[in-house]
Amino acid sequence: MNRTMNLEQRTALTGIGFVTPTVIVIALILIYPIIQSVVLSFGQSSIDGSEPYRFVGLRHYATLMGDGRFWNALAVTFTFTALSIPLELALGIGLALLMNESFRGKGLARLAVLFPWALPTALNALIWRWMYNSDYGLFNAVALQSGLADRPINFLGDTSLAMASMVVVAVWKTSSFMALIILAGLQSIPRDLFEAGRMDGMTKWQEFTQITLPLLKGPILVALIIRSMDALRTFELPFNLTDGGPVNATESLSLYAYKAIFDFLDFNFGAAVVVVQFLVIFAMSLIYVFALRNKD
Amino acid sequence: MQKRPRYGLYAIVALSVLISFFPIVWLILTSFKNTAGIYAWPPQYWPDPFTFENYVSIFTNSPELLRYILNSFIVGVGATAVTLLLGGMAAYALSRLGLRFAGVLMVAILAVSMFPPVSLLPSLFQNFLNFGLLNTYTGLVLAHAGLFLPFTVWMLASYFATLPVEIEEAARMDGMGFLRIFLTIVLPLSWPGFVATGLIVFIFSWNEFPLALVLMTQNAMRTAPVGISLYPGEYAFPWETISTATVLAIIPVLVITAIFQKQIVGGLTAGAGK
Repeated sequence: MNRTMNLEQRTALTGIGFVTPTVIVIALILIYPIIQSVVLSFGQSSIDGSEPYRFVGLRHYATLMGDGRFWNALAVTFTFTALSIPLELALGIGLALLMNESFRGKGLARLAVLFPWALPTALNALIWRWMYNSDYGLFNAVALQSGLADRPINFLGDTSLAMASMVVVAVWKTSSFMALIILAGLQSIPRDLFEAGRMDGMTKWQEFTQITLPLLKGPILVALIIRSMDALRTFELPFNLTDGGPVNATESLSLYAYKAIFDFLDFNFGAAVVVVQFLVIFAMSLIYVFALRNKD
Repeated sequence: MQKRPRYGLYAIVALSVLISFFPIVWLILTSFKNTAGIYAWPPQYWPDPFTFENYVSIFTNSPELLRYILNSFIVGVGATAVTLLLGGMAAYALSRLGLRFAGVLMVAILAVSMFPPVSLLPSLFQNFLNFGLLNTYTGLVLAHAGLFLPFTVWMLASYFATLPVEIEEAARMDGMGFLRIFLTIVLPLSWPGFVATGLIVFIFSWNEFPLALVLMTQNAMRTAPVGISLYPGEYAFPWETISTATVLAIIPVLVITAIFQKQIVGGLTAGAGK
């Protein structure tokens, strides 16, 4: 009796000991900074501590609410997410169905499709910025030489085109990630379901909408969550592709927050921006976590 | 069944591969052009002359670009090691030791993994400045460990769940302590899970941008994505150097992805499936 008690206690103690280092690192790097940002956003201080912290209440938040550039950044972030995620999903499902077929060279094809995901987004953005270039870029060369355009297209400098150009890069990079997750779901669907469907004389399309899609709900939800959280946080893509331009047409919330802190050097106002951004994203993530828990 | 050649399928596959690959191909071709070739109009679809001068010039004129890549290696390896060690222990405890709060903790870890990195910047920058961690490998390794521990814990916990418990139970009967069981039995048995997780964390760290940008402010300490992005700041954008440095900076992730494609895909989909 005494022995088992000891074992249980020892197990619990070991468990706590094993978990503690991870909890400490996460607390230091992820949780404490958020709390500190909240404190900073209610005050006036300097980065190096030369100016002591002074409480100013909601002043920075009031400035923020009246700041057109903040609302623009919020709109840009949501537009970017709303445009890129459905495209990525559609292409992801298409690619997953393709990779689920058996054909020669499948391994190589899957690898080629995976490459864009593995590259740093910041460098992807540079590669595309070079192809979009209105003076020397590949796209303008093809468009002009084939007669599709009669003068150079300013993909990144035109306010109406820049967002679309940015969405294309995001879709190019991450559709494969969507595809991988959906493919894993696809491969877990029992084969006999399709055979039964074929017996009933289902067409390929009916098979897809009545058997495949309903069974893919879980993986699709997961892929949507992961990708939309990423899209809402997007930073290095506009940073390197357009620097938020032209006229802030692609300035995401993350990029605006970064500029407030490190370009305008308005540390406390920047903290208010990141707190609001955090609240927006955290609210979304909570919705998602609950959606996931209720999935099964 | 039917042996009819499926030209349509192959056409779609070829198109997908082409779209995925052409930006990388164009980048590589650009790196083999000389300056005149890069700024030629209409653009050269094949480098003429085909030259290695940009690669030679990086080694002789821009050694800082190589330094960026070295920094990325040091930070990537450090972050991967720390994350696997701490995350492995935590995942083991959460999936095996029957902790009462394990479920809550797993959900909490999932929730914090969705924090936007930019939200961490004002505080991390100030604290790292005060503790002398700015421009140190230790600092960025710690930051990346915090960023990627949630993913690691979830992936390894789902891997441990697939291992049979009998061996560990037998070892415990023999009076082995948990730390020894973890190090001598669990680690050797679950190395495929650790390899997959470690590779993905290394790629994440190699590619991470906002924290690397803000926590490494000295040019000599910058990681590859940041250093290359900021490189042009000094004068006009030197595409011949940028494209060549970019090729060098993506080779490691391309090679890792190519060799360990199966493990990475398996890891990503297992981690996401939970």
